[in-house]
Amino acid sequence: MFDMLTEATLMLMRLDVLFMISGGLVLGMLVGALPGFTTVMAMAIVLPISFFLEPILGIPFLIGVYKGGIFGGSIPAILVNIPGTGASMATTLDGPAMTRKGQSRKALEIALVASAVGDFLSSFGTILVIGLIAMIALMIGPPEISAILLLSLLIIVVSSTGSFLKGMVMLLIGMFLATIGQDPVGAMARFDFGFYPLQAGIDLLPLIIGLFAIPEILFAIEHRRASVVDPSHTKAQGEPLRWHELMTCRRTILRSTAIGGFIGMVPGVGQVVAAFMGYSAAQSASSHPETFGKGDIEGVAAPEAANNAVNGPTMVPLLTLGIPGDNITAILLGAFVAQGLRPGPQLFQEQGVLVYAILFSMLLACVLLLVIGYLLTPIFARVVSINKAYLVPLMLIFAVGGTYVYRSNPMDLYFMIGFGLFGYVARKLRFDVTPLVMGFILTPPLEYALAQSMMLSRGDLPGYLIGTRPIALAILLLTPVLIIWLGYRQSKQRRALR
Amino acid sequence: MGMIRNAILAIAVTMGLAGTAATAQTYPDRPITMIIPLGAGGSHDLNARVITSVLPQILGQPVVVQLMPGAGGQTGTAAAASAPADGYTLLFTHNFIDELQQFVTKLPYTPNEDFVAVSRTNTAQPVLVVRNDSPFQTFEELIEYARANPGELRFGHSGNWGAFMVPGLALMQEAGADVTLIPYQGGGPVIQALLAGDIDFTFAFSSVLAGQDLRPLLVVGEEPLLDGVPTTSDLGYDMVSDIGVMQRVVLAPAGVPEDRLKILRDAFAKLNEDPTYRQLLGRLGENASMMDGAEYDQVRQQQAERYKALVDSFGG
Repeated sequence: MFDMLTEATLMLMRLDVLFMISGGLVLGMLVGALPGFTTVMAMAIVLPISFFLEPILGIPFLIGVYKGGIFGGSIPAILVNIPGTGASMATTLDGPAMTRKGQSRKALEIALVASAVGDFLSSFGTILVIGLIAMIALMIGPPEISAILLLSLLIIVVSSTGSFLKGMVMLLIGMFLATIGQDPVGAMARFDFGFYPLQAGIDLLPLIIGLFAIPEILFAIEHRRASVVDPSHTKAQGEPLRWHELMTCRRTILRSTAIGGFIGMVPGVGQVVAAFMGYSAAQSASSHPETFGKGDIEGVAAPEAANNAVNGPTMVPLLTLGIPGDNITAILLGAFVAQGLRPGPQLFQEQGVLVYAILFSMLLACVLLLVIGYLLTPIFARVVSINKAYLVPLMLIFAVGGTYVYRSNPMDLYFMIGFGLFGYVARKLRFDVTPLVMGFILTPPLEYALAQSMMLSRGDLPGYLIGTRPIALAILLLTPVLIIWLGYRQSKQRRALR
Repeated sequence: MGMIRNAILAIAVTMGLAGTAATAQTYPDRPITMIIPLGAGGSHDLNARVITSVLPQILGQPVVVQLMPGAGGQTGTAAAASAPADGYTLLFTHNFIDELQQFVTKLPYTPNEDFVAVSRTNTAQPVLVVRNDSPFQTFEELIEYARANPGELRFGHSGNWGAFMVPGLALMQEAGADVTLIPYQGGGPVIQALLAGDIDFTFAFSSVLAGQDLRPLLVVGEEPLLDGVPTTSDLGYDMVSDIGVMQRVVLAPAGVPEDRLKILRDAFAKLNEDPTYRQLLGRLGENASMMDGAEYDQVRQQQAERYKALVDSFGG
């Protein structure tokens, strides 16, 4: 065993391996930072490159693109309040507020460190107890997924800014919007009002770009300020991250990593849910919860560590069973098989050294992400020092271009503009759009998992839960307790503020 | 005289050559877009990456993959149907989206009028699998049990009217058995559900089977893929063999000029001879049983009739 690990480490200690991972990271970061380009698209496009490289170069290269892409998505979320994906949604709660305070560089750096640490620890833990995680992952089926999603939706409403009622209204609007199109189980068209473009449903990307970017652009025009950053701050990109600030986030990062690592065993929606749970937990544990949402450094560290900590466990079904849990691992599976490697129980026995080398390359990629990110963030941070007369039109170009390149559907542009106007009005009326987006993201998997659970139970849901699904039952019983406790804490804080 | 005649001849010949050269050279003179009506990372995406890493050398132009998922494949298919029929837009799809969907939902296009086949690139035969600790040693045992206990066995499939539901439904109907159908989002999740014990049986493509804790009971189609495992044809389920095999096809909008269609069909025929293409396909665990578009267009007509019958019998 020890020989195998040493051999695997030696296999990685090559200059070209470092070079490929770094290249992948930079590529992923750039693509992830562009609205409309997703990490999955970037990976699918560079996949053929890996066909013609040896496995120890090709697969770490893709892992680099993957990790770089996820961090890249947080860059526009922090700087200009445009989350590239659902995973960086929670980062917009505090990231842009830090930017407005002239702390964009600090915000990017804490996001980077939290991401890299969360990812590293979760990947490391995954390597240590891969067998155990594989076993737990098999115990999470549709009933457990339904229970976890239901809990997350409630947590999001309770922890959204503003009143509970407003949060609930936005959540329900989001859930309704998600049901337009084909129902996920029977593929019947619904709520399309006989209008064909609605039959395909509304996609997440135009919704997010519309709700976030367009109001941001309109507000910029309205305020007629020359810079994104409050003019009272002289240096636009601001100070770098200080050691003592990092230390104050220590517990937040570790807590989020644990949450993310746990949620990572839920396939599909792990990152989105983990980011919000991490944020909510950090806010509950904080001695100064009132600063959350106003540019708190822990408010950036919490979701970033949590959504990256998901990465380790999501690799487990792929490596142990050869089953990809999402699109990214499906592409990695493609890269493996094109190399003549078939992930699964046999691969560990036949190619143990190579598998461990690939696992270690995930750790190496986290370290390199930290280094490369640290070198690049000052450059990214400078984006906000661009004069608004140039930055705002650029944002509009990226919003429109990003929406269109995603799937080349002109209808998406109308949706984006429509949601943009809606988002502008909502923000004027002090409605938080976050519950809307979360309802929109989590409803389809919830509906699907619920329908699957009903069918699995063959009509006797309570009996099925009690008899064969103790985990789902436990989560369902825990939900009201947790929500009442969170709600109680929130209302106490609000009273204290008055 | 001789000189003039020669000059005219020379001009005629060059023009004639230029004429043929023009058709050969002007198409394709810019990149070709291949729309996939499915998401990133699926088997079509992977197959397309293999095709597009070799096909450009044959056509002399890049082939760009454009993923347009949505509405179970309708979004991308509708976009391809409304694209100009100039040979610069192709659609890479499969038989269930192409020929079955028209009977389960209202489509903004008519498959057999709006598209012609360029090539069927390959096929994939689903294999019926149970867990290794399952009490069913053979397909007959499984069917006996399902007949005796209606609705008790849980059959997980990869999505409604998809590559696993169609052969499963057809098979159960022919065998006169009643099982509970449970949809999953793709072939990966459904295998995980089988291993976890949430469902009793499902299908998988043979490339997924290696090293898994699974027992294959039946191969859909005519070709015996696995030693000692019968095929649907062996057991007399010819209709299942006929309609249950997934066929990956490249289509072009109907009305594409004949000469361009020929260039495309020839290019795919050449692609299938290419050693790099074959090697990469082999690694993905895919076969290379290509069928020319002209021949496959006949098959599409037959598929339409069979799928209509299947959907009607399901009460749809």
